[in-house]
Amino acid sequence: MALRAAWEGARAEAIQLRRSPLLVALAIVQAITFLLLVSLFGLTGSRAPTGLVDQDGGRLARHLVADIAAAHNSFALQHMDASAADVALRRGDLVAVITIPRGFSDAVARGDTVALPVAVDNVDADLTDDVQRALPSAIAAFGQETGLPGIRLSPAERDLVGHDTGFIPYLVVSALALDALVVAGVLAAVAITREFESGTARVLALTPTHPLVPLAGRVATTAAVSLGALTITAALVALTYGVVPLHPVELLFGLALCVAIFSCVGVAIGCMVRRTLPVTALVFGVALPLYIDSGSLEPERFDGNVIWGVAHASPVYYAVGLLEHAAHGLRVTPEPVAVDALALVGWAGAALFLAARLLRRGLAR
Amino acid sequence: MRRGILALVRLDLMLWRRSPWALVAALVPPLGMAVLLAILTLSVGRQPVALVVEASGAQADVMAQIIESDTEAYALTVTDAARAARMLHDQEVAAVIVIPPQFDDAVATHQARLDLTLNNVDIDFADDIRRTVARSVAEFDAPQLGIQGELGGPARGVLIPNPYRVAIAEHNLRDTNVDFLHYQVLPALVLLVLSVGLMGTALLSARDVETGTAKHLVLAPLPSWSLVAGRFLGGVAASLIVLLPVLLVCVALGVVTPPVGHWPALLAVLAATALAAAGLGAALGAWLRRARVVAMAASIVATYLFFLGGGFTTIAFLPSWLRALSAFVPIRYAIDGMRQCLFYADLAGVGRDLLVLGVTAVVAVGVGSVMVRRSWAS
Repeated sequence: MALRAAWEGARAEAIQLRRSPLLVALAIVQAITFLLLVSLFGLTGSRAPTGLVDQDGGRLARHLVADIAAAHNSFALQHMDASAADVALRRGDLVAVITIPRGFSDAVARGDTVALPVAVDNVDADLTDDVQRALPSAIAAFGQETGLPGIRLSPAERDLVGHDTGFIPYLVVSALALDALVVAGVLAAVAITREFESGTARVLALTPTHPLVPLAGRVATTAAVSLGALTITAALVALTYGVVPLHPVELLFGLALCVAIFSCVGVAIGCMVRRTLPVTALVFGVALPLYIDSGSLEPERFDGNVIWGVAHASPVYYAVGLLEHAAHGLRVTPEPVAVDALALVGWAGAALFLAARLLRRGLAR
Repeated sequence: MRRGILALVRLDLMLWRRSPWALVAALVPPLGMAVLLAILTLSVGRQPVALVVEASGAQADVMAQIIESDTEAYALTVTDAARAARMLHDQEVAAVIVIPPQFDDAVATHQARLDLTLNNVDIDFADDIRRTVARSVAEFDAPQLGIQGELGGPARGVLIPNPYRVAIAEHNLRDTNVDFLHYQVLPALVLLVLSVGLMGTALLSARDVETGTAKHLVLAPLPSWSLVAGRFLGGVAASLIVLLPVLLVCVALGVVTPPVGHWPALLAVLAATALAAAGLGAALGAWLRRARVVAMAASIVATYLFFLGGGFTTIAFLPSWLRALSAFVPIRYAIDGMRQCLFYADLAGVGRDLLVLGVTAVVAVGVGSVMVRRSWAS
């Protein structure tokens, strides 16, 4: 009987969702939205739009321009004349304008030191820092590549990972965890709040089976829809961002665990608030800090031990660890990936327990 | 008609008061944003790096001093090789810089190297470290390529020749740098307005349909626009009631400190943002009607408005097609207007920002009225 009740609950939710195709479409749109938006964030993380005014045009000037362009993804150079560059800088279209003065190549060839005028719109300290660090770095590369005498020191870099991973490809993978949190959390929470708001929760208490069973069926359906939305999103990540997962089974396993955990979290939220009104804002508001404090931008421990310690209290931390390994083969938590996976399984169990407990209490009230 | 509108406003405020969870939920996104900002403030700019000095001598000391004094770029731990390797493995640091043995001898023969072992998990912070280490290397032979030299050397007419034969004369457009926290705190206020004004108003509108209140409203001797306007004004009032105490806290903490003459403009922009957000919420709720759909749609709309409006980025520094797109996002004008009021000497463009936000509110209420009329007619 319990199985049938669960099945009927799932079927009822499926019918509900079928009658509301817009909701399903919006769930998918929401998942894709986060991909787009973290990409947007990634775009500002590198390549500051910079005007370049080359008043010299000589061989050494061109060499320096090439070094500036190649300086660790720092500048998106736009060649322009001085007046256009000034207007663009004051309008806020450029972070900086670098001018290579007339006579630069001849002066450098003669052994003179030339000062490059650099105007910076220092409205944002982060971008200003990037410019201030990248330009000396480009000048160092210029000096070393052109074999100027008198340079006594050069850097020798050894990378731990054999390949560089772009910021946006890194971000979109961690965004899948954020997607799971928001989509699965909201769908499950709203499925529960509707039961309270419409009064069905009271009727369930009169059924000959345990009232949790049909609700579990309902949440299973919302979880299936969430997993579908996430699978589509993961496919988009592969197709449009070129992030083909190195371990696809691990990725699917991670996504399924995320959906299970966040569906249960959604049920818990639904039981606590019992109204649809606050659900979305609550899930959305919780999602952003959890996402950022999870290693979504870089390994979380780089932000210090306190923030890293706090991150352990969120399943998103382990999810990002597992997903980044599955997609890029990266290790972004000090814990081994197997520990991340086990922690997620533990989270799923704990979330299920919490959801069931809150649901039972909610139905009893 | 005015009584009808005011009755709806009162009803909305009562619903908010009776829904403590809704209030909590409205405060959670901006609070989350504030937490996020605090986290990012800690992580933006400085990278955790271990320094191992295996050499002794004057040149090694100079090199170590250059790195240790760059506290804006490095969160530095000076340690030995074994501990540095362990810290790198445990992700306590993102990179290890080693000043190798016989550094001074190598410097004398112009063949010195500074070893960098980098955990290049992603290029964002990896490139930050590469840039910073390269600058430290350049500073060794050319002190004016350090940050003090960039700002205070050639820019002030003092040019010291260096072996790279290039120096930097940096001129900043503004007197002071706006730090990350102050720059980004405004979007947290905007998020508050969005979550109360847009999401709250949209869901209250949808609730009318689901609870059947809409059927009673349709019988009221009021035009449809006044019903939408009542809901809209309720959303505005709720937004402002929540926003003002938060703003006062920000002022008390010194986070929001506009020039004195800019206060009226700042308050006007905030009020206009609340108007636009509530207008959009009223229209969205009237259009979609079902609470579940409205909840999801409102979160998507708020997300797009927030991000494309510059809530998390500097729009001016994005690709041109994105900038063109964001020109149609009303929240962009809210954030632009607030930043102009806070960080700039004049109020250029604030009038335009207020106009766009006001027009958005009027159009949204107009569209919402049509939606309500249609839905009731059907």
